[in-house]
Amino acid sequence: MNSEKHNLIDCSQFEELLTDYLDKALSGETQKNVAAHALKCPLCHSLLNDVKEALVVCRDLAEPKLTLTRLEAKILERTVPQSVMHCEEFENHLTDYLDGFLPAQVYHRWERHAVLCDECTDLPGTVVRSLAACVTYKLEELPLPEGLHEAILRRTIGTEKAIRIKASKSSQIVEWMRNLRFPISVPQLAPVAMMMVFAFLVFSQTVSADGSLAGVYTTGYELAEQTYKQGADAWSGNAGNLSVGQEPVSGGTYVDSESNR
Amino acid sequence: MEALKATADINGADLVRRARAGDGVAWEEIVSLFSRRIFNLAYRFTSSVDSAEDLTQEVFIRIYRTLDQYDAKQGDLANWLMRLARNLIIDDYRHRQRNPQNTMADTVDDHQYHLRAVGTSAHKEMERRELAAQVQEGIDKLPADLKTCVILRDIEELSYQEIVDVLQIPEGTVKSRINRGRIELAKILRRMRVVTI
Repeated sequence: MNSEKHNLIDCSQFEELLTDYLDKALSGETQKNVAAHALKCPLCHSLLNDVKEALVVCRDLAEPKLTLTRLEAKILERTVPQSVMHCEEFENHLTDYLDGFLPAQVYHRWERHAVLCDECTDLPGTVVRSLAACVTYKLEELPLPEGLHEAILRRTIGTEKAIRIKASKSSQIVEWMRNLRFPISVPQLAPVAMMMVFAFLVFSQTVSADGSLAGVYTTGYELAEQTYKQGADAWSGNAGNLSVGQEPVSGGTYVDSESNR
Repeated sequence: MEALKATADINGADLVRRARAGDGVAWEEIVSLFSRRIFNLAYRFTSSVDSAEDLTQEVFIRIYRTLDQYDAKQGDLANWLMRLARNLIIDDYRHRQRNPQNTMADTVDDHQYHLRAVGTSAHKEMERRELAAQVQEGIDKLPADLKTCVILRDIEELSYQEIVDVLQIPEGTVKSRINRGRIELAKILRRMRVVTI
């Protein structure tokens, strides 16, 4: 009982020994006494918990900011040195990176270089800001200098006072011709032209004397009549009596009277 | 930008048809719609107000003479006209690069012009204009081939294929020049403290 009383500590002693207690720097007996006081005294117990939590927060704050990407990049740099990208290659891929066109493998090598290389790490951000400045530059158009509009008119139409002119008939026709859409394209014209030439030869040289469609039918009737007449003559034996200027109609209907004799 | 919106609503084919027929008002309308845009494009390449003015006039003279070649079926007027203007301005820029003695750039005059243009506008407006002037200065420091690609891509917002068509160089070259141009411009602007880390 005496030894227990002897080992008891009060609250002020607890506070004094607290740091050493948490660092486990006290002797075994004293360490036990401090722990025993913390269990008995609710105020000191609460204080012990507060200090413990504060220490955890402080430890987190003090840890170095080594992100996983950087750590991963460092590990890969040391273990797979052949995958390391060099500055020149990094710059060559910059636009593709910004446009999102980099293949996955190159993309990861590119990002690792961006994280690790002090020379290049700020370059993408700088280029993006530079492009943003270009947008401002693009939007900030200069006004047209005074007199330029008039100078252009003077040098093109010869006057600064432009007048409205109604287009002449001839220019309207030229414009109409220019806008005319021919339905058949040039390569398709060859067979069309051939068909037209063939039709011309047929109508002009074979049946129609005057080239008209009416003439075609008239001539057709005349030829049919002659053929019939020649056939009848051949049948009756009068093949030689062709009227003056009448040619035998070519084809199978004409029978040579001489050969029949 | 207002001019851009306006061009979307116009009937380019009708304007050109009237202008071809000698209607001065139609031609004046075309000039009004596109002169500011073409002047600004010329300024981006020349960095000189005087040179940009001269170049804009030359571009419009060429456009006026080639109105007959405009075909509404091939695309709208804005596309045709800006493509023509772009080609002429880049040709002029390349020519001046080969013959530096012909350059008319005068940065002092330009700076004064900017100050005059600012007038008594608000502080933010002034800051924006100052930033635009600094970006122009940064772009001017780029090598010619990078400058052309950066302007066409990041200012004029042309696609890679359109830049290939304008410059007549392979797509891979266009891409690498844009990439290199952006990086160089960013480094220049950082040195000028226009952009900060």
